[in-house]
Amino acid sequence: MLGALAATTAVVVGVAAALVMGGGDDNENGPAATNTPEAQTTGTPSGATSGDTLRLLGRDPITMDPACASDVDSAAYVIEIFGGLVTIDRDLKTVPDIAEAIPEPVENADGTVSYTFQVRRGVLFHNQSRQVAAEDVKYSMERALNPDTQSPIAETYLGDIVGAKEFASTGEGEVSGIQLDPAAPYKLTITIDAPKPYFLAKLTYPTAFVVDSNQTEGTSCFTNTNWQRRANGTGPFKLKEWDLGQRIVLEANSRYHLGAPLLAQVEFNLAGGSAVTMYENDEIDVTGVGLNDIERVRDPNEPLNAEFQTGPRLDIWYIGFNVEKPPFDDVKVRQAFAHAIDKDKLIGTVLKDAVVEANGILPPGMPGYNENLQGLEFDPELAKQLLSESTYGDDLPAVEIASSGRGASVGPVSEAILGMWKENLGIEVTIRQTESATFFQDLRDGDFQMFEVGWVADYVDPENFLKVKLYGESKDNESKYRNSEVDRLLEQADTEQDTAQRLALYQQAEQIIVNDVPWIPLFHDEYSVLIKPYVKDYVLPPFVIPRLRYVHIEK
Amino acid sequence: MPGILPYIVRRLLWAPFVLLAVTLATFALGRFGPGDPIEVLQGQYNNPEVVERIRQERGLDDPFLNQYGRYMWDALHGELGTSSTYLGVAVEDIIFEKLWVTVQYNLLALIIIFAIGLPAGIWAALRRGTWQDPLTISVLLLFRSLPVLVTIPILQYILAIKLGWLPSGGWDEREILGLKLGIFDKRIIMPLLVLSLPGIAGVARLMRAQTLEVLDQDFVRTARAKGLQEFVVVSRHVARNALLPMTTIVGFALVGLLGGSLFVESLFGIPGIGQFVWKAVLNYDYDVMMAVTLITATAFILVNLVTDIAYGFIDPRVRLGGRGGG
Repeated sequence: MLGALAATTAVVVGVAAALVMGGGDDNENGPAATNTPEAQTTGTPSGATSGDTLRLLGRDPITMDPACASDVDSAAYVIEIFGGLVTIDRDLKTVPDIAEAIPEPVENADGTVSYTFQVRRGVLFHNQSRQVAAEDVKYSMERALNPDTQSPIAETYLGDIVGAKEFASTGEGEVSGIQLDPAAPYKLTITIDAPKPYFLAKLTYPTAFVVDSNQTEGTSCFTNTNWQRRANGTGPFKLKEWDLGQRIVLEANSRYHLGAPLLAQVEFNLAGGSAVTMYENDEIDVTGVGLNDIERVRDPNEPLNAEFQTGPRLDIWYIGFNVEKPPFDDVKVRQAFAHAIDKDKLIGTVLKDAVVEANGILPPGMPGYNENLQGLEFDPELAKQLLSESTYGDDLPAVEIASSGRGASVGPVSEAILGMWKENLGIEVTIRQTESATFFQDLRDGDFQMFEVGWVADYVDPENFLKVKLYGESKDNESKYRNSEVDRLLEQADTEQDTAQRLALYQQAEQIIVNDVPWIPLFHDEYSVLIKPYVKDYVLPPFVIPRLRYVHIEK
Repeated sequence: MPGILPYIVRRLLWAPFVLLAVTLATFALGRFGPGDPIEVLQGQYNNPEVVERIRQERGLDDPFLNQYGRYMWDALHGELGTSSTYLGVAVEDIIFEKLWVTVQYNLLALIIIFAIGLPAGIWAALRRGTWQDPLTISVLLLFRSLPVLVTIPILQYILAIKLGWLPSGGWDEREILGLKLGIFDKRIIMPLLVLSLPGIAGVARLMRAQTLEVLDQDFVRTARAKGLQEFVVVSRHVARNALLPMTTIVGFALVGLLGGSLFVESLFGIPGIGQFVWKAVLNYDYDVMMAVTLITATAFILVNLVTDIAYGFIDPRVRLGGRGGG
């Protein structure tokens, strides 16, 4: 899967953090929520008329180049315009796109694993110049990895393929793990370095999408990017118009191989505006709702209330500890800090219940999400007791929490938490707020004692949270957390082919992690969206997926 | 005005030094400040080797002065670099388009501000001592004090949602004489109101103060003593003299309006330079920031120069260049 949501950029994370932690702002939340939504819709639409236009507020994509897109804003368009071997459906399952079927992994004698794909016949590029063949898939992946393309993320998503890392640093030869068959132009074998049940999920990310070599030869993420305004993909929608900062118009690809979209076109207004006002004034069909408007639209007496929908997002906001730095090298201190936070109050009062309380690490909607997970409850007495039992006793060194943000004021979430620690533990924690680039740099360098930050799913697999962030050897493990039992469970889950078994392993690991408190989970974001009643099947997935082709308008 | 040409030349000779200082400072802030577009692209992952490799290939690891020199050399040739807000797009291809949008409606706002503000100020001054003067001034003060973040939602609620007279915002261009113009669309009415009201208030208050000052001057008394009609006194003697200082603020008012466009553009959805620069800053878009700095600094220099020259024409007492005693 993919991708969807994939990855948000540091800046997006930073901004989102600032907004969420800072209490949010309509205008900013609006378009974001518009881009990614959710919704439980089932059944096939009936009586849909074609020829309708859906009007949305959108955000400017940084790029339309699948090899370079790593932020949600860009991915939201790329995923509609382009496609790859596999995609993600409304149930967040990996399903075939350009491939005919999802291949079974085959383990080789040397421990590598191969997937053999059959490319679907008759998949046309939007300009109908030609059919996609296996060599287009190979070309596209190698182009993403080629150092000349200068993609900062290709290795992250394609680095499991045998030979990909070498190719990414030299650009010489080819990626040995992507094999064509000279006798079968629609057959493609991809070999990865070890069994990884989440590998196909990574292929749903735009990095693996098919591009038209006639357009992309000689281009990189940073140069000769004009082709993107006429991007020629294979996805459900064609890029009809992209006026930078003003408008993007997508037009239905009536020959789309998984079923033509029901809408004629989708217009994204990129220039912004007052989202909810535009919605009320019938200028757009869907809008996100920020904290400023949320109480109004929740009011059952308010007409807009009938059009209000919410849905989960695959992310988590948490407080992380550097478990190597005093005083958080003592688990009791970490537990004390966790028990001293009243999350109900925090979420109910400061965040107006627009988010979902987090007990564990995995967000609702993620496979492996554990409803019965035992979180650390708010218990000020226990918190004090744990603190006095710790090796530091009542003699705690100075404690500072780092957060990313702009502007001189501390967000209401941070403020509330600092207040709770003071009230319930008697500890005065200071806050260091830095601009997001500096923040992430220092975070990676392990400079902080304690930090507040978020993590957004890149693909729909628990590995993306637990292994990436909390495995002892992971370079993204900013807590420096290391528990040999957790590491063993995560390694085992990596290669476990039975899905139920595998998810059980993740749940075991998650419970141990929660008790060890390298993080205090705070909350998971939610979409709060207004959708006009005539817009049907507007799916609000917790994650960026191609979803516009399901939407139809019935007026 | 004999000394004017050498004066202009002398002033223009200074311009490159000013630009050099300003661009050097901005460039240094970008390069030595935290973050860069490559990290932004990489997102929440941590792959320092890849970032380092791309940084090297893109010349971001070169010595500072080399980078600066390269940028300025290109800029002199009309190449303002590439954007990272829209990856790979040439800055000159996008920035003038955005600037044009913002300049259009701000120029119009400026015209409205002075067309209404100046007469209003004179009128209030002439009503000194009556109830009309304090009333006018209070109303103006109110307009002046209302932040756009308050007036915009209120206007949108009334004019768009309740009355349905206007769209809540947006920007619609039509081509007139080869120019893309967005100011002949009703969408522009609300932004103009929001921009003009505080501006009118500011100009009117300043004009009132100037007028009052002039009204107390001896030559006004003399004019009246000569038996001139009140209209002639006001238009020939009072207004003309009171207008003098106002010329200095025209240019700066425009530049100031441009700078304040962010909120107006965000809340009304106008794709102008204010929003664009904001996005650029969030994306560590060095080249766009540099271009904006260059353009703004150049505009300031020119406005300053034109104002000084205009002043010289309007007020013969002002000698340009300051030499030759005065």
